[in-house]
Amino acid sequence: MPTLTGDSVRLLLDQVAIDVESNKDLLCDLDGEVGDGDHGVSMTIGMRAVRRAMDDLAPDPSVEQAFQAASDAYAIEVGATIGPLYEVAFAAAAQACSGKADVSSVSDWVQIYQAMFDAIQQLGGAELGDKTLLDSFHPAIEKLASLEGQDLVPSLEQAAVTARQAAEATKELKPMKGRASRLADRAVGYQDAGATSLAIILESVAAFAAHVRS
Amino acid sequence: MKKLINDPFDMVEEMVDGFLSANDDIVRRVGRRSIARVASPIDGKVGIVVGGGSGHLPAFAGYVGHGMADGAAFGNVFASPPARPVVEATTAVDSGAGVLYLYGNYAGDCLNFDKAQDQCREMGMDVRTVVLNDDVASAPVEQADRRRGIGGLFWVFRIAGAKAEQMASLDEVFEIATRANANTRTVGVGLTSCTVPANGRPTFHLEEDEMELGLGIHGEPGIKRQKVAPVDDIVEAMMDMILGDLDYSGSEIALSVNGLGGTPAEELYVVYRKAREICDANGLRVRHKNVGEMVTALEMAGTSISLVRLDEEMSALLDSTVNTCMYKKP
Repeated sequence: MPTLTGDSVRLLLDQVAIDVESNKDLLCDLDGEVGDGDHGVSMTIGMRAVRRAMDDLAPDPSVEQAFQAASDAYAIEVGATIGPLYEVAFAAAAQACSGKADVSSVSDWVQIYQAMFDAIQQLGGAELGDKTLLDSFHPAIEKLASLEGQDLVPSLEQAAVTARQAAEATKELKPMKGRASRLADRAVGYQDAGATSLAIILESVAAFAAHVRS
Repeated sequence: MKKLINDPFDMVEEMVDGFLSANDDIVRRVGRRSIARVASPIDGKVGIVVGGGSGHLPAFAGYVGHGMADGAAFGNVFASPPARPVVEATTAVDSGAGVLYLYGNYAGDCLNFDKAQDQCREMGMDVRTVVLNDDVASAPVEQADRRRGIGGLFWVFRIAGAKAEQMASLDEVFEIATRANANTRTVGVGLTSCTVPANGRPTFHLEEDEMELGLGIHGEPGIKRQKVAPVDDIVEAMMDMILGDLDYSGSEIALSVNGLGGTPAEELYVVYRKAREICDANGLRVRHKNVGEMVTALEMAGTSISLVRLDEEMSALLDSTVNTCMYKKP
């Protein structure tokens, strides 16, 4: 079992940032089909700010401090729609970890993901099925919650697989939020960029946890 | 796509530096991504703060100056600014008479400007917002609250800015901005895509002989992709959509033909010629006009046509002088 301390979360968010940026072109392409083609750019700008924030953290941060620094980075640097959404999501993750020395159990990560999901839904106002990142996040959290008590790494991996499949399934959905929503039927058939970047983040978290274990 | 840039992720910062330096008689820097008129806050005057993603100049920062806006916040290319620069601009222009936010209806702008508005109100400032939604093609008329803000925002900035210049109250400026927005309609057409610098590849693809009716100013696809036609036919289709959406009969109107960034002024005048002919044939009295780049989409080729149904007050306000960074009229 890996032990994920505050310093681990700092390194984890740094790795998430690298993985998201390496998918910049894919995310821009998905967004370009129905939106304005900049989702990969906005996520990259946010994640670069997260990397700087992780670098600037005092040694041995708490889990809460690491997540809160990511929230602050999104708040200051990003804008767009995802800026405020990831700002509140990381802030909610920070709050969910308040007082915890490490986040090493499945139930810790169910709490983190659920808090992030709730914060995004509350601010963005989207419903499930509206073709947003909630549509890949929700089934992944359900999957993870069904694995409580089990080993963290395979559980995070299964949640990430579920998120990826759900992101691909957004092709069938009609967008109801954001720029793509004005396209209605024309957007059916295209995979949602926000749901995809969320799946990439969950994959990155799982890969990092596996790396810590090994 | 060839572009005159350094690191694409530095483009906005470098653009802001150049913009401030070139317009230092009119604007000053407030924060890293926020500017205000040199003289602001102006005693007793309602401040108007505009903003949105970069890639649309003259919108938004180009319209800061006498007769239009007092401050602006810059976002990344095609991305709303975060709340912070909006708060900075608001603080810089607030004389105590209140501040009005004017920006286009996009999810990101609404989230970030609303957050800025909340923060400024908590600090005791009187802030109100009119979200602009002139784009006929982006939603049916019954769902006007889902329509995007595009080229017509030029006229709303002008009308509200002129009113604020007369030292009107925040209620009055808010009311006339709301009225101007409700009476403005725009339809755009795109002939090519555009390339977000940090993306590096065109946002979407249009065949050599294709155009897109109703295209958004970020390259969002429009409502209909069709073969390019002679410009008179295109303008007729655009004007049909506008005149079918709002009853302009009997009113004076403002008519503008906007270039999206990659269409020469010559072609815009050809567009204007036909749009004007249709106005005249419909008995519309064109009182105010503007032809040129007002709200662009990087280097996208294409145009948008805007019509404002004016009342006496709005028409008179448009006679006032303007001296902004990128739009001047004696």
